[in-house]
Amino acid sequence: MEAPPVTSMPVTGGAVNMMEYLLQGSVLDQALESLLHRLRGLCDNMDPETFTDHELVYLLKGQQGNPFILRARRSLSHPTSPWHLRYLGQPEVGDKSRHALVRNCVDVAASHSLPEFLNEMGFRMDHEFTANGHIFRKGVMKIVVSKLSRILVPGNTENTERLSLSYLVELSGLAPAGQDTVSEDMRSFAEQLKPLVHLEKIDPSKQRH
Amino acid sequence: MGVTCVCQVPVAEGKSVQQSVDIVHKKLEQLGAVKQGSFWVDCETYHPTGNVSGQPSKLLYVMHNSETPLSCMGLFEGGPCLIADANFDVLMVKLKSHFQNAKAHKVECRGSRYRYCDFLIKVGTVTMSSSARGISVEVEYCPCVVPGECWNLTKEFMQSFLGPSVPELPSVFAAKPEGLFAPSDCVDTMTQYLELFNKLRKMQMPGSNVR
Repeated sequence: MEAPPVTSMPVTGGAVNMMEYLLQGSVLDQALESLLHRLRGLCDNMDPETFTDHELVYLLKGQQGNPFILRARRSLSHPTSPWHLRYLGQPEVGDKSRHALVRNCVDVAASHSLPEFLNEMGFRMDHEFTANGHIFRKGVMKIVVSKLSRILVPGNTENTERLSLSYLVELSGLAPAGQDTVSEDMRSFAEQLKPLVHLEKIDPSKQRH
Repeated sequence: MGVTCVCQVPVAEGKSVQQSVDIVHKKLEQLGAVKQGSFWVDCETYHPTGNVSGQPSKLLYVMHNSETPLSCMGLFEGGPCLIADANFDVLMVKLKSHFQNAKAHKVECRGSRYRYCDFLIKVGTVTMSSSARGISVEVEYCPCVVPGECWNLTKEFMQSFLGPSVPELPSVFAAKPEGLFAPSDCVDTMTQYLELFNKLRKMQMPGSNVR
């Protein structure tokens, strides 16, 4: 019943700008076990964690410019957990020596009314998919090995079809803008995963939209 | 989080807003309520900039409550509500070309927080553009989350210090499909604050010390 701590000014927008550093690669299904074995050895000691997530990608078409993209993700294995809403900015250009893709990132935890709320805001769902696989951690870095599946009937996550015969491997780290140390950690970690998987900087804007 | 009722208290005849707030504080203290810190609730209004096929734009309200300092609530009047963490504000800044913040319409309610047994009472001054627009009183009965089970008790308690200004059962409870026996949550509280803020926004500004 004690009053929660009240700061004299409410905390509003303009909080620390977080940047996501990302390296991506893939492995064929048959190589999965060797990769998982290597990751279990290199990463922090923790219970093996698998996940099954459903992600919906929403677009808001403005009067000019590119549509605004938001990614809404929920866990199918923990259905009562909050939704995870993610905004990813344009990749930072310039420093070619930067080993990883760097982009602004805003993560918001949201209640289960998220899809309805986004529709009311004017967002429309562009596509959805399910991802299942394994997650590992090493310090501030996160390694996700996932199999992506297409949803055949909108909204039905039971009926899915695998998109490929490989697993997507993503090595990512979050750091406040200006702090570049995680980039070096990621580069050296990626070296340790060779030749099982080659993680590289893949610019999403160069992909077909 | 219990069942809350948010209502407006009229400014007393011949008194200023601050004096009327002090009168309510005094009545609460006489009852035996103990002051426990302060509270604030605020509401920002966003206009969508996109033209949605000639329909009037739906306003998006983003509200904060000091009782839940790490959360942020997004509401559409009569529409879906979202409970999110504080980063939602950062996201709204990113969306500024699609949703414009009507800064002049920001409404804040600040005041003291009192505790009386299982009740939490918050008496606040509602301000818009630094001018006081009215007085709000929020009464929360903490042990219960079902309005139908504690409304009579809450109303009786409110009568003991608000006298004739006691409100009727908030429409937000009666409007639910399961009626009064659906559990209440923070969205119900914020919806009531939003209704009060919109009502005060539309009213003409009262004179500073003259009624």
